[in-house]
Amino acid sequence: MSWKNIKLIFIKELVGTIRDKRTIIAMIIIPLIFYPLLFAGIGYFNKVGSMKSEEAASKIIIYGAEFAPQLVKHLQDYEKIEILVIEDDSPSKLQNGDIQAVLVIPSDYKEKIEQEEPNKLMLKYDATEAKSRIAKQRIDQVIEKYQGEILLQRLSRLNLKEEFLTPLILQEENIATAEKITGSFLAVLLPYLIIILIFTGAMHTAVDITAGEKERGTIATLLVSQISRLEIVLGKCFAVMLISFTSMVLGLFGLTLAFLSGTSIARGIEGVKFGISVNTIFLLFLVLFPLVGLASAVLVMVGIFARNIREASSYITPIYMLTIFLGIISISQGIELTGKMFLVPVLNSSFVFKELLMGKIYWSHIITTFSANIIIAGIALFGATRLFNQEEVLFRS
Amino acid sequence: MIQVEGLTKIFHDKKRGKIVAVNNLQFNCQKGQVFGLLGPNGAGKTTTLRILATMILPTKGEIMVNGLDIVKHAAKVRRQIGFLSSETGLYDRFTPRETILFFGRINGMADKIIEKRMAEIFQNLDMKDFQDVRVNKLSTGMKQKLSIARSIIHNPPVLILDEPTVGLDIITAKTVIEYVKSFRDQGKCIIYSTHIMREAEKLCDKIAIIHQGNLIAQGTLEELKKNSLFDDLEEIFFELINQGENQE
Ligand SMILES: Nc1ncnc2c1ncn2[C@@H]1O[C@H](COP(=O)(O)OP(=O)(O)OP(=O)(O)O)[C@@H](O)[C@H]1O
Ligand SMILES: [Mg+2]
Repeated sequence: MSWKNIKLIFIKELVGTIRDKRTIIAMIIIPLIFYPLLFAGIGYFNKVGSMKSEEAASKIIIYGAEFAPQLVKHLQDYEKIEILVIEDDSPSKLQNGDIQAVLVIPSDYKEKIEQEEPNKLMLKYDATEAKSRIAKQRIDQVIEKYQGEILLQRLSRLNLKEEFLTPLILQEENIATAEKITGSFLAVLLPYLIIILIFTGAMHTAVDITAGEKERGTIATLLVSQISRLEIVLGKCFAVMLISFTSMVLGLFGLTLAFLSGTSIARGIEGVKFGISVNTIFLLFLVLFPLVGLASAVLVMVGIFARNIREASSYITPIYMLTIFLGIISISQGIELTGKMFLVPVLNSSFVFKELLMGKIYWSHIITTFSANIIIAGIALFGATRLFNQEEVLFRS
Repeated sequence: MIQVEGLTKIFHDKKRGKIVAVNNLQFNCQKGQVFGLLGPNGAGKTTTLRILATMILPTKGEIMVNGLDIVKHAAKVRRQIGFLSSETGLYDRFTPRETILFFGRINGMADKIIEKRMAEIFQNLDMKDFQDVRVNKLSTGMKQKLSIARSIIHNPPVLILDEPTVGLDIITAKTVIEYVKSFRDQGKCIIYSTHIMREAEKLCDKIAIIHQGNLIAQGTLEELKKNSLFDDLEEIFFELINQGENQE
């Protein structure tokens, strides 16, 4: 085995891949331009939509307004509430969106207030309409405020202070470190995203340089040269690893951009403090590397086995689904893996990622995961080399 | 240089069952000779050449290339041969220069030597005009010239050419044939398969006619003529094939 030959294959595959327009689209244009634009677009239209519904005054109808003149006055004083006086039947008006809420005041309102009994007001609105929800919020606010005034009046009549109402005050303090806050936020999604990005990144290239070479009839040219089967497999696998890793990094970067561009227009960036230590990053890479190797080796092996690109894709689909499934397990809260489960590829990495992002370092998990994934990747590479020597696999048509 | 003895290859196909693609072939080819494998479609030419090129294993038989057993020393044998067939395709996304550099390098040559040989070959095959154009933009003839350049860049003593003129116009085919002749004059041992009689007549020092995996005649053109009623390779060919079928 010579590293020089492996490097020759590695470079050849990389150059070939980079010259393929589809790779550039999948690796660069989609994550770095398409995602952010898409999210920014969604954020922008959201914002325009919500601005419109927030700017407009809510149109409401009050039944029995004459029974509670003071409350009605409060509502009238609120700038963005417009009280309509119409006589026709309101439910349909509410349904078709001409008005956003209906408030019904009972006829015994005044007496109940005087007798200090609870008063039931009825608010009708449509929870599926943003404008109607906003109308409800506004009415809530006004009523809350008005209720406060009534309470204060009652307290002062009884010669009590406002503090009478709050005998206990619970003060909260969040002791989670910045590291842990970032971690738990990232720990939910990041392992899953990493796994998916690694696989999707590896897929296209892995198939293209194996089954694709068979399809284009160039594999025999390579096999009659003086380069060994193992060197070919390793060179190809390393190229897939680099492409897969780069796609993952670009993908994460693109998604971050997308997330920021989506939210900054809608809500403005909330100050997420970033607190990942260098140590954690190092360990993340330690777990990441065998996972990238595993994905690449398995996909290269499948690609070599398949007759053509289409066949390879149909073999890869179930593998991909399984990967997504194993990735999703890590998203679900509350599942803990036991020692032996860390031998399961993909699943193990996603849990170790999660632990690391939460600031927990369990060496036994890291070592088990690292070795299990490396060993499986090695077996796949060995299998791929063996496949190359089988004439049925090379010359099936 | 090449000795083939009792070469048999049997395929097991799900639909067609057992296929004897090559049956008990026997021939040898010396330095400075062009050995022609002549036969119709499905005769077993490609199968024979794939075995010689160490791409597939023989079911039976002993094959030596330059004194090396092709089964036991496949890697060493690969160093001795240049192989060209319709299945040794070229990379679409590379230019001829890049292609030759790559194949020179994986055959263990130093860049300086590759450059020198490449310049010579490109000159001889009249390839300079398109040496920097990506392969997917080349015509069939240009691609075939590049394939030839690729198969000889490491200057192998043995050349295995499977129908190298297939799909070429007469001008390009002539260039290829002249070039093969020049290799013979350089003392290379060349195995050349074709189903075109005229080519075999013009080029081959020795001819083996195979049909349905069996060797039905072998010798120089003169020897073949002597043993036949006919004077023309094409007629000899049909005569032999008819005899072969009558015997079955
Ligand atoms: N991998 C394979 N599996 C099964 N049968 C095969 C395989 N390769 C070749 N054959 C069969 O072996 C026989 C010889 O085929 P081969 O390709 O050697 O013929 P050929 O002389 O090169 O023909 P052509 O002039 O069409 O190229 C054919 O019947 C073919 O179908
Ligand atoms: Mg053939």
